[in-house]
Amino acid sequence: MFGYVRAFKPYLRVCEYETYQAIYCGLCKEMARLTGQASRFALSYDVTFLAVMNMSVNDIPVTARRMRCPVHPINKRLCVYDNKGLMYPAFVSALLAHYKLSDDISDGKNYQKLLAMGANAGIDNGYRRAALKYPELDKRISELMKLQAEHENKREPVLDIACDPTAQMMREVFGGLTKDVQKRVKLEKFGYSLGRFVYITDALDDLRSDIKKKCYNPLALTDGVKIADGRISDDDYKRIVEITDLSINLSLAEIADSFVDLDLKMYRATLDNIIYVGLRNVYELVREGRFNKRMRSKGDKI
Amino acid sequence: MNKDPYKILGISQNASDDEIKKAYKELVKKYHPDQYQDNPLSEVAEEKMAEVNQAYDEIMEDRRTGTANSYNYGYSGDGYGADYQSVRRMIQSGNITNADQALEAVAENQRNAEWFFLKGSVCYSRGWLGEASKFFGIAAQMEPNNPEYAAANNRMNYNSSGYMNGSRNVYGAPRGTYRSNGDDCGNTLTALCCADCCCEMMGGDLISCC
Repeated sequence: MFGYVRAFKPYLRVCEYETYQAIYCGLCKEMARLTGQASRFALSYDVTFLAVMNMSVNDIPVTARRMRCPVHPINKRLCVYDNKGLMYPAFVSALLAHYKLSDDISDGKNYQKLLAMGANAGIDNGYRRAALKYPELDKRISELMKLQAEHENKREPVLDIACDPTAQMMREVFGGLTKDVQKRVKLEKFGYSLGRFVYITDALDDLRSDIKKKCYNPLALTDGVKIADGRISDDDYKRIVEITDLSINLSLAEIADSFVDLDLKMYRATLDNIIYVGLRNVYELVREGRFNKRMRSKGDKI
Repeated sequence: MNKDPYKILGISQNASDDEIKKAYKELVKKYHPDQYQDNPLSEVAEEKMAEVNQAYDEIMEDRRTGTANSYNYGYSGDGYGADYQSVRRMIQSGNITNADQALEAVAENQRNAEWFFLKGSVCYSRGWLGEASKFFGIAAQMEPNNPEYAAANNRMNYNSSGYMNGSRNVYGAPRGTYRSNGDDCGNTLTALCCADCCCEMMGGDLISCC
C-alpha cells in the first residue's frame, strides 16, 4: 500500500482528527506488539483507513490512553489501546509489506535490493505470524502478486487488466473485515474499486520516474505516447491524465455506491471525509505533481 | 441446454403481463423455502425457485426493453445470430468467465451493438470500468435508439463526470470535486462576499460599496 487513502485534515473536526490520530498511533504500537518492531515502518494511512473501516464495520468503540512514543518524545500521545479492532489491520499490513519487499527484491537494483532484503528479514517473523493467523488471505495475496508479476513481465497495456491484481488483493483484504455474507459482498466491491483507485493513482504518480528508468508502467504504454530521452511530451501527459481521470472518476463512483450501500454508522464522518474528500484530494495532488509520499503534512495544503 | 422461460412459468409466449405475474406468484408460493424447512426436498425447491425467478426476470426484462420476442432455445448458433440470451443469463447468474468466452467466440465482423453491450456488461461485472465504459459507448453509438444501451452509456458518462453517490451530505465536500474549477482568487472573492453578507446581516459592513 502506498499512503494514498488518507483523510483531508483541514476538513476533519477536532474530535475526528484526534480519533484518527489515536488509531494511527495505536496501530503503530499494535504492529510492534503483534508483528515486531521492524514492521512499524510499514505503518501507513492506508492501513489506518483499514483500521477505521474495521472498527466501523464491526462496531468497535475507541479505547484509548496517553502513551509515550519514541517519535514524539516530548508529550504523551493518545493511542488506541487494548482494542480488538487493530489486530486485523496490523496483520494485513505485515502480509502486504512482506510481499511488497519480496517484489522489490526481485525487481530492484543493487542497493535497493540489499535494503529490501534487510527489511524483509526484519519483518520475516511478523510475516510468519500473520500468515499463520490468516493463511487463506496469505495464499490469495501470494497468487495475486504472481499474477501482477506476469502482467508486468508481458508489459500489459490495458489499464483495467493491469490494475486487476491489486484491486483483487484489496477485495480480499476488505472482504476479510466481516463474516456476514451480505456485508462481505459489498465490502469486496468497495475494496476492488479502492484497489483500482490506489493502483491508478500510483501509476500516474510514478509515471515520469518509470519512463526515465524504463520500468513497466501501463500508462506509458497508452496508444500513441512517444518516449524520447526518457521523457514524454506535455501533450502526451495530458492525454494520459484524461484516461486516468476517467478511470479514477468511475472508480470513485463505484466506491461511493458501495459505501452508501454499506450504510456504516460508527466513525462515519471520518470515513466520509476520506472517501469523498481525501481520495480526490490525493489524486489531484498527484495529477499536479505535488503529492509527496514521504511528507505527511505537506500534502494537505490546499 | 437452456429452457424457454415461458415453459418454466407454464404460459404461452402471447400471455399478458398480468398472466405472467399471476403464474409467477403461484409458482413462488409453491416453491417457497418456508414450506420446505427441514424437508429433504428443500434443495430441489431452492433450485426450482431460482429457475422461476430467473425466467420471470428474463421475460420482464425482454418485454421492458422490447428486444427479443422470439426465442430460439435449443438452437445452436452456427456463427450467425449468436445466442446472446444465454450470455445474458450467464452474466446475471455471475458466470462471467463463460459469458466472456461465449462472446469472444463471436467472429469480429459479426459483432453487433448487443455484442458490445454484453462485452461492456462482462467488463463491468469484473470491475474493469474503463473497458466497460468504452464498450457501452460503442454499443450506444451503433444503436442510438436502444434504451438499454443508452441507459448504460449515460450512467457511465454520469459517473465519469466526478459524481459520487452520498457526497451531498458530507461536511466540507462540495458536490463533484472538492475544489471548484475557480482559481484561488475567485474563492477569496466569494469568501469576501459571503463575509460581507454576514456582516450586513449583523448590522455591520465589510465592503462598503455593496
